[in-house]
Amino acid sequence: MRKSFPAEDLARDGRFRRARTEDRFEDPRNEFLPPGRRAGKLTPDRSDAAHAARQLMHGIFVGEIQALEGAGRTVWDFDDDEAPFALKLDMARQCWDEARHTEMSVKLGEWMGTEVGEFAETAFLYQAACNPDPVLRLTGVNRALEGLAIDVFNTMREFGEACSDPVLSFCEDWMLADEVTHVKMGSDWLRRLTENDPERRERALEFQRVVDKLFSFRGFRGEADDSPIQLARTFRRMAGFGDTEIDTIAADAEAGSDPEGWRAPVG
Amino acid sequence: MADPSAPRSPFAPWDRRELPGLFTVEESARRVGHYAWIEMRLFEALGGWVATVPELDVKTTLGRHCYHHAWHAELWHKRLPELREMRPDRLIRAPNAHLEAFVAALTEPEAPDLTIEKLVGVFRVLLPRKIAAYSYHLAATSRITDAPTIRSLGFILDDEQTDWQEGEMLLQALIETDEEVARAARRQSELEVLITRAGGIAGPGSLGPSSTSSGPTSSGPTSQTVGAAS
Repeated sequence: MRKSFPAEDLARDGRFRRARTEDRFEDPRNEFLPPGRRAGKLTPDRSDAAHAARQLMHGIFVGEIQALEGAGRTVWDFDDDEAPFALKLDMARQCWDEARHTEMSVKLGEWMGTEVGEFAETAFLYQAACNPDPVLRLTGVNRALEGLAIDVFNTMREFGEACSDPVLSFCEDWMLADEVTHVKMGSDWLRRLTENDPERRERALEFQRVVDKLFSFRGFRGEADDSPIQLARTFRRMAGFGDTEIDTIAADAEAGSDPEGWRAPVG
Repeated sequence: MADPSAPRSPFAPWDRRELPGLFTVEESARRVGHYAWIEMRLFEALGGWVATVPELDVKTTLGRHCYHHAWHAELWHKRLPELREMRPDRLIRAPNAHLEAFVAALTEPEAPDLTIEKLVGVFRVLLPRKIAAYSYHLAATSRITDAPTIRSLGFILDDEQTDWQEGEMLLQALIETDEEVARAARRQSELEVLITRAGGIAGPGSLGPSSTSSGPTSSGPTSQTVGAAS
């Protein structure tokens, strides 16, 4: 088995459909449209709420599969001198957590009326897990990607509460607890592995900033009233994000909400 | 209630544990080092394979089992300094080149249509060997002096047996044709040759006395005699 596994080779069964990120983001039926063209915050009173929630849940499902695959590759890709044993233990734990999240999200999807393959899958989450430097990979995945997961799960949890759907809010709350743990792991390893290497730490934080901007999807995730995914400040603080750092993510999300400002992250 | 001032043995009447065991501190540490090595190689491989298998149930199972073996590796890592090995990395290694060759062959398949080959290596070859070696250790070591190892072996064997059963059921669900039966048998045979040459996960002696094992024999003192003497 190779070290480093490209996104285009991710193994899927016949139900899955892979889409290019640009096509997915420009699809007029989706949530990633610029301000003025999107439906706004996910609330039960939106006429398309059921469809939007199903689409988001399917996105969570494929995102969990890719997070599982990314954590697994971090366990395999690096030799002991590149990634400490304790880091690999954390990533193995994350594999188990993401496997559970995959199971939960596929069941929630069924509960909400969608099925595997109803929506297309892009691989840009996994691509953040392909960085050859373990510190940059951990920062991109465990702080940016898992930080996004905190925002998404909190939004979905609140949507479940607003819909009086106890199953949805219950499961999202459990997943949210895991994601806070994963972000803390990322913050911890970033600090430990770059303790004597400020230049590497700066490169890792810059990589995180780039990934965070991409994950803000031109305001799809942010603090604007019409952002479908709201930045979860309280849970981010719990996970070790500082207020300045959260302010930067919010500001970058707002700046990126310019309809012309968005660039496709991958081909 | 019995008279609280009456003398009692530290061993309850039904506690039949005895002092003798086949392993010295050094022999137990040597084995534990090999256990840590194989658990590490296994959890790394399972993690790497997650992205390569298209079957969703296999994908999530590998993710779950990956953590089980990582936790086993962690337990063995922690045990080594307690067995007087202050440089654990010295002992965390394969027992011989044959086991390294086995692991190289085990982890070689990558293509998405090789799920049977991946699972056969883990669940029909390696896990049975691990269960055998751990069960032997459990039976052979002193139940009193090596109790911390025994406690870890209990947790680990529970995982191994559950995971073995789950993996075997996955294989039975995946193998549907004569050709797939032949593929599974071929793969098992290839890997059995390699792990047999290695002598098991702890090398020759994985399942019986090796030239390096020593210690008191079963004719040594028992807990009953110790208890009676006190």
